[in-house]
Amino acid sequence: MRLTKLSERRLRPACVSKKMKLSFIRPISCCSVSSPATSVKPQKPIFLRPPTFKTTISDLQKWHHWAKSLISSVGSTFLELDNGPDSELLLRELNWLVEDAIETPKSFLQQPHKNYNDNSSVAVRASLEQLYMLWKRRVEERMPFQYVVGCEHWRDLVLSVQEGVLIPRPETELIVDLVDDAIKENGELREGLWADLGTGSGALAIGIARILGTSGRVVATDLSPVATAVASYNVQRYDLEEKVHVKQGSWFEPLRDNEGEFVGLVSNPPYIPSKDIGGLQAEVGRHEPRLALDGGASGMNDLIHLCDGAVSMLRPGGFFAFETNGDEQSKFLVHYIETKKQGNFSKVKMVSDFAGIKRFITGFRGR
Amino acid sequence: METVVQSSVGIYSKPFHSLARKLIKASSGPITRVTEMDRRRGGISLLTSHSFFPAIRRIRAMHKSITSSPTVSFATPEVGVTNTETREWAMQDFYTLRKDVETVLERVQEIRAAAGLKQLQEDLAALEAAAADRSLWDDRAKAQETLQALTDCKDKLKLLRDFKTQADDAETIIKLTEEMDSIDSVFLQEASGIIKELNKALDRFELTQLLSGPYDKEGAVITITAGAGGTDAQDWADMLLRMYVRWAEKQRYKTKVVEKSVGEEAGIKSATVEIDGRYAYGYLSGEKGTHRIVRQSPFNSKGLRQTSFTGIEVMPLLPEDSTNVEIPEEDLDISFTRAGGKGGQNVNKVETAVRITHIPTGVAVRCTEERSQLANKIKALSRLKAKLLVIAEEQRASEIKQIRGDTVKAEWGQQIRNYVFHPYKLVKDVRTAYETCDITSVMDGELDPFIKAYLKHKYSLAANPSGLT
Repeated sequence: MRLTKLSERRLRPACVSKKMKLSFIRPISCCSVSSPATSVKPQKPIFLRPPTFKTTISDLQKWHHWAKSLISSVGSTFLELDNGPDSELLLRELNWLVEDAIETPKSFLQQPHKNYNDNSSVAVRASLEQLYMLWKRRVEERMPFQYVVGCEHWRDLVLSVQEGVLIPRPETELIVDLVDDAIKENGELREGLWADLGTGSGALAIGIARILGTSGRVVATDLSPVATAVASYNVQRYDLEEKVHVKQGSWFEPLRDNEGEFVGLVSNPPYIPSKDIGGLQAEVGRHEPRLALDGGASGMNDLIHLCDGAVSMLRPGGFFAFETNGDEQSKFLVHYIETKKQGNFSKVKMVSDFAGIKRFITGFRGR
Repeated sequence: METVVQSSVGIYSKPFHSLARKLIKASSGPITRVTEMDRRRGGISLLTSHSFFPAIRRIRAMHKSITSSPTVSFATPEVGVTNTETREWAMQDFYTLRKDVETVLERVQEIRAAAGLKQLQEDLAALEAAAADRSLWDDRAKAQETLQALTDCKDKLKLLRDFKTQADDAETIIKLTEEMDSIDSVFLQEASGIIKELNKALDRFELTQLLSGPYDKEGAVITITAGAGGTDAQDWADMLLRMYVRWAEKQRYKTKVVEKSVGEEAGIKSATVEIDGRYAYGYLSGEKGTHRIVRQSPFNSKGLRQTSFTGIEVMPLLPEDSTNVEIPEEDLDISFTRAGGKGGQNVNKVETAVRITHIPTGVAVRCTEERSQLANKIKALSRLKAKLLVIAEEQRASEIKQIRGDTVKAEWGQQIRNYVFHPYKLVKDVRTAYETCDITSVMDGELDPFIKAYLKHKYSLAANPSGLT
């Protein structure tokens, strides 16, 4: 009920939408919102910034050349060290950075062997100093490429991301397909209320909102104020403020008002066992938020919490899909649901990702 | 009478004076030749361009006026230059025109041979018999089909006849001019006009005949994959990439290297180029197969002769929604190349390559150039469909289901061309036997002769599956 009121409130002119986004969190008194949280300002991805910086082709080429030499010095050392990117992948990333940062990337990328004396001017979306700094951080500090450009291409979306927010993974794209399959089978799911728990950048919430019917809604929750700010920004960029409501708080807490009303729950919760965090690829372990990765000793603390909560949150016939760390966790959770939640769920199964790893568990709330 | 014509054709390529002399010696008088011409014109009347009629009439008139002077010779070009009328048409121009006529005659002959005239006439006879059959209208749909095929066949035969008569007309003008001691500029102008129009018509015909496949007018996607042979093969793949991009630029096609995987030392492991422009696929479809290089490898310290291979795949660049092919999900094996490991949150790599294999046929495609997995999957699926459609077309299968998977691999991997850089220079197509020593130009994108030779080869194979010409 409250949700409808909220959506009415949000039907305001676009000029106030920025304020709205921040005030959006406030009315929800039930969840703990600390005041500094509301002041988190999402960063604009490079490709959305205006090309206000001017530089010359030759200076840009010098930078490009420097960036490439940095890449070739990497070779396969990161790959051998912690399964990080090799020079081939870094080269691809560099091309994408050029695509995002330069107003006319094609002409630049397609004539890489032009002489270094070309003083014609190019419009760039970041200063040359920033470009040097960003690429240095990418290679030397192993800052994830997505934080460098401030975005991640995910499904057909380009989502804004920044430090403090988990970068959505390609595997997770499949959850939207799983939801799509479920709503194709049951039309009621298309028009109902969904929740994305631990939404991060808002990827799943947005992906699902775009396949729901006109009255379908998604509530996206996250404990991190940076995540809720970034998710809200992404929701706004895809004009989905009517459909997706971002709430700050832990798991089901912000959803108590709608208990038992949800037709679907999805989540990509932290699932990496604490002991494994130290050995992660540097881009992940050193830069991505531990809050979004660490699932406790077994890695399943949050997954178990979600399975427990799903019983009371879902309507009869409601659907759930959770991402896991792979075969072992999925098998455990299916077993857990079948024994501990006997009779509450039906058609519980494991679904593999494209690499053949049993990445997801899905099922329906019994009727 | 016949001998006149035959002998004149036989010596056609000889220098002008000797030709003229022979012609005149062989001829049994101008009148017979006019009759011969008339006989031939019998079948032409409908087809010749209107502008030609007055010219023909004038030829006849002039012929009659020629006094019997078999000794008149065109041995020296100056003879004609003295004539006031030839100020516009100098001997030089006449030579050029004659050369053009010779070329066009050859071309018409080639086209008629490639079109499989004999087969067409047999088809026509069979179709006429079918159309005359009493039971024709028993099956209305089949009757219409038969009648349509009959019309098509007649049209094509008529067109091929048109070409011949027009070329013959031009030839006649040339012969008569040679015979007469004067150059008539109006005359030659008309011959020149015929040649021009005929060449255009032949171009159109060739294009429609050679590029009449359902996807021929589309753009093309070329996938280049270095074969075994390490750095040398990867360098070879890079050379071929450059060759095709250069070729496309010459045709003023838009090219986009959408994916490129660089080799460790030099060259490329693979690359995908989209070539956008009308008929790009039609021209390039014959390039698919294995390309072999023989050279002294720059990557071989001993400088030994080395052979490397690169595979080329060509598919039509079809608009995303144009492929209304539904492939059942269970027929697809979609794998997501994320190198080993635990995946998910554990890994953050921009590698989102998708490889889709069509299980029943074993046909596979890979897409790595997009930034999201879904985008790669969509693109890969669209490429897979394009590839399956092409294979179905090649195998004359009406559905994807009928594709014989076992033959696909063999056909698509067939060695089609050799590029020998050492010990001699030669590029030779194994299918058409077309060859050139100018390997530099070929590597610079001079592929047209190879492409044309292949298209003709393919066309004549299709017209005469049994190998008859």
